[in-house]
Amino acid sequence: MKRPPHFLRPITAFTLTAVALAACGSDEAATTSQDQIPKVVATTSIWGDITANVACDGLAEVETIIPLGGDPHSFEASLRDRETMEGAVLIVANGLSLEESLADTLDAVEAGGVVVINAADGIDTIPIGASGIENDSHDDDHDDDHSGDDPHVWLDPTRVIATLPTIANALAETGIDEGALEVCVADYTDKLQALDEEIETILATVDETDRLLVTNHDSLGYFADRYDFTVVGSVIPSPSTLAETNPAELEELAELIESTQVGAIFAETQHSSSDAQALAARVGDIEVITLRTATLDASGTAGETYVGWLLENARLIAEGLQ
Amino acid sequence: MGFLTDPWEWWVGPFNDNGFMRDALVAGLLTVVTTSLVGTWVVLRGISFLGDALAHGVLPGIAIAFIIGVDTSIGAFVAAAAMIGGITLIRRHSPLPDDTSIGVLFVGFLALAVVIMSTQRASYTGDLNRFLFGSITGLDSDDIKRQAIAAAIALIGVIVLYRALLVMTFDESLAKMLGLRPGLTQGALLALLSVSIVASFESVGNLLVFAFLIAPPAAASLVVKRVPMIMAVSIAFGSAATIVGILVSYHHRSAAGASMALCSVILFFIVLFATMAHKRVAVYRSALA
Repeated sequence: MKRPPHFLRPITAFTLTAVALAACGSDEAATTSQDQIPKVVATTSIWGDITANVACDGLAEVETIIPLGGDPHSFEASLRDRETMEGAVLIVANGLSLEESLADTLDAVEAGGVVVINAADGIDTIPIGASGIENDSHDDDHDDDHSGDDPHVWLDPTRVIATLPTIANALAETGIDEGALEVCVADYTDKLQALDEEIETILATVDETDRLLVTNHDSLGYFADRYDFTVVGSVIPSPSTLAETNPAELEELAELIESTQVGAIFAETQHSSSDAQALAARVGDIEVITLRTATLDASGTAGETYVGWLLENARLIAEGLQ
Repeated sequence: MGFLTDPWEWWVGPFNDNGFMRDALVAGLLTVVTTSLVGTWVVLRGISFLGDALAHGVLPGIAIAFIIGVDTSIGAFVAAAAMIGGITLIRRHSPLPDDTSIGVLFVGFLALAVVIMSTQRASYTGDLNRFLFGSITGLDSDDIKRQAIAAAIALIGVIVLYRALLVMTFDESLAKMLGLRPGLTQGALLALLSVSIVASFESVGNLLVFAFLIAPPAAASLVVKRVPMIMAVSIAFGSAATIVGILVSYHHRSAAGASMALCSVILFFIVLFATMAHKRVAVYRSALA
């Protein structure tokens, strides 16, 4: 064989330097002194607001990674986001594979010593599409690992109440006074219970026979479960962002909508509503109403807090189905 | 304008302070070595479209591997081999031009991946986004090892194949006369291409690795003519794009992989315009003389 061309020597040297670079360099761990306010990061604005409330808006500094209006399924992190996560003592994620594009980053940060909790861990979850009419067509092999469970738990305030102790315990681990946290959790639990009752009142205007939901993607399962609605179907019957609808299923859904007399189709701000619009046009005489299911509204509006935001969604659903 | 007013803090500070920034840099630079060595031949042999098709063609393999629980790299290699086999089949048994056979399989494989994923209704875990865009923000030491191994394979492969590729690229009939077996050489090059694509789907992702396979070698081929120099200049260009891309993602909160890919394409255009300007000046000067 011919001798290796001499030009490859600098390239080899370059490669070895790059590898050496990886080996060197020490990393100072995130230091937390007791008298500083601990920095906590939440993946979505909804968990950010809930976590801030568990910490009584001041016992911890809460920052959110996924911006308002962003889709938590497909959000791509920047390296600054990674720094923000590294700088935190605790990261509150939703879990149940909601933050799928952040999964690798969260794993790496956790391996680096930051505590990562999944708020939805340990609460009563339901499989995707379980509150629907056709739920026997899939999920037959549902087992106990919850990997196939609907992650949108925050659409039910009583389930959010169930996550509060998990968040409070994690916050206590960061050095926040447990007694103070208990008071915060009690206060916020009251608020969420009041929210739950208010939503019941708002939805009381919707007749039992009209409590049918058609959504853009499977996101209202917990809302339906809590407030006795039935999810008739969704335009995109899969949580994956690469999944598409197919004409046969859309036609089936259109027929279902006609036979059940559903009052409205609910689209979501973070997804295109073109399929939902097409479905509405096919059915005729049906409204497409846009809900915000994944992130809070801009600050300065009623929907800037979790409580205000869920009320807003409940009102939209009630108006749409009356 | 921090990169001008406070250059140390903008250019060096982030790498100095953060281990994950150094990891991203190392993974990026190793990707650049691999893609520059292989990409130079991709550009010179005019098989960019095949490279693009392969970068997408591995997706159904990854999807199936994910579902049946096999290592996704193996799935990706099997899909790449199937795609190359399919293209060769069409080429041998039809009078169709290469880009048609590549196009048919490109779209077929991409559609297959989407169809496979659309059957996975009860779970999120099979989402393909992470493979398309990678996650250089969440690297672990295995990812860097994989990148380093790919760079080593590319380096060895390019050394072994250097003469055969050179002769084949510039005179295929001479290659046959010299007994260099162009078919085998082409196959080996495609294998190297698959290695560079599969190795980087955890870091920059399948979609964006293509930017690094094409843009830096193409830019380099505009300024130097000898193959080893194209490789070296391509590594320099690719490294610059990686460093700037990582820093832009850090300072401006933009998606990391896409920022790097965009920088490498912008760099290509800067080099293109610079060579255009250079030629004009040369023409002007010779007119004066």
